[in-house]
Amino acid sequence: MEYQNASEMNGGVDRNLNASKHNSLCREKKDSKDTVDAKKLSHIEKAYTTILSELGENVDREGLLRTPLRAAKAMQFLTKGYKETTQDVLNDAIFDENHEEIVIVKDIELFSLCEHHLVPFFGKAHIAYLPNKKVVGLSKLARIVEIFSRRLQVQERLTKQIASAISEALEPAGVAVVIEAVHMCMVMRGVQKMNASTVTSVMLGRFHDDPTTRKEFLNLTMRK
Amino acid sequence: MEDSEQTQNSSTEKPDGGSVQNGHFDGRVKRPAPGGSGRAASAAASAAAVGAQIPCAESGAHRPVMESWREERTRSMEDNETSLPSLAAAYTTILRGLGEDPQRQGLLKTPWRAATAMQFFTKGYQEKIIDVLNDAIFDEDHDEMVIVKDIDMFSMCEHHLVPIFGRVHIGYLPNKRVLGLSKLARIVEIYSRRLQVQERLTKQIAVAITEALKPTGVGVVIEATHMCMVMRGVQKMNSKTVTSTMLGVFREDPKTRDEFLALIKC
Repeated sequence: MEYQNASEMNGGVDRNLNASKHNSLCREKKDSKDTVDAKKLSHIEKAYTTILSELGENVDREGLLRTPLRAAKAMQFLTKGYKETTQDVLNDAIFDENHEEIVIVKDIELFSLCEHHLVPFFGKAHIAYLPNKKVVGLSKLARIVEIFSRRLQVQERLTKQIASAISEALEPAGVAVVIEAVHMCMVMRGVQKMNASTVTSVMLGRFHDDPTTRKEFLNLTMRK
Repeated sequence: MEDSEQTQNSSTEKPDGGSVQNGHFDGRVKRPAPGGSGRAASAAASAAAVGAQIPCAESGAHRPVMESWREERTRSMEDNETSLPSLAAAYTTILRGLGEDPQRQGLLKTPWRAATAMQFFTKGYQEKIIDVLNDAIFDEDHDEMVIVKDIDMFSMCEHHLVPIFGRVHIGYLPNKRVLGLSKLARIVEIYSRRLQVQERLTKQIAVAITEALKPTGVGVVIEATHMCMVMRGVQKMNSKTVTSTMLGVFREDPKTRDEFLALIKC
């Protein structure tokens, strides 16, 4: 308050004072965010301690001593996509390019968590788009997959979210996303089918409207 | 694998004053002493050979450290029922802590499903070797190698609570007694459906077969992928961990070991 009055009296803005105030405000925000994050981690850690003892294990044995913390951090890593946005990842990597032919990035490894059982599912994503004067850095397609897969997911929604994100960012003539994944909730428990895999796809724009374009994509992507 | 029918007995209660480490007692639990010093000595010798996690019983106790044959369950079906609400509440806390909304449609029943799933992934704590093997040991005059390979195995990493999966290959040289083949896979199930470390899992399977059959030798090889290394941390997609335990003639005789390793590869 005092700083504000002083600068107003002088008729000028003391940039240094404002910068340091901004920095200290940022620091305060970051500190309070870190505190909130630490508190959340501690809640998750306590929950895992409960889980271990309810499963019949001895939480004091050597191998399990730090497991609640490790499991909590692992879970936070596996759901880090909630804190990321397409904008963060894509910014600056969209280029004007006079290219209108199909661009495919295939066999992108994908790891996600089934939102129904909190058990991993993993597989590969294949992404194609038809540029409309704008192309994207290739690794950014993989980063978009990361953002949406590192969440509690359902494979259908994951596929759609990836396709929509690319569509909104690039406004291409078409987008196609195919995901083929193995769900541990089906393999390790339940029906226990070792070799079953789930395939989902989303076709937008010309990939949806034109069978020839779709066929070209599938031929280039799905051949072994 | 279906849960074997288990009879209730007083030993399903958690032992007083004892702590259970993945099915192995720390020696403080009161149990009847094993009958016959010979059996105790050979069991203790095999326990020493595999390097028990817990220091060997003091001299004079004659109590083998790893009596997997006799080990007690740490959990019962009733325990599962009573634990479910606390487990579900813990998972609800985890969902909130991760920033999700436990009330949204897709997550409404997730705490219960995740709790039940986790109980299934650790159902090995409810099972005893003796329940699974009883009646399936046969006298057979066969002393050539018996191998059951490519047994699918699913376990949980005890450090990160994330799946481990892979294949187990088991070989043994019978000494007048053979085991029903599927029982080898059931032994794998009992020990793998727990919070595990791959090294310990391999040893436990080998020791259980040794104690049950007293064969001339046992070899167990496990090749597994650890999701804690693949999905997080170093994130090495193609890495695999291989562990092996060789007991008896598999350890002492290189030719036997070579034969086993060659046969599991082809």
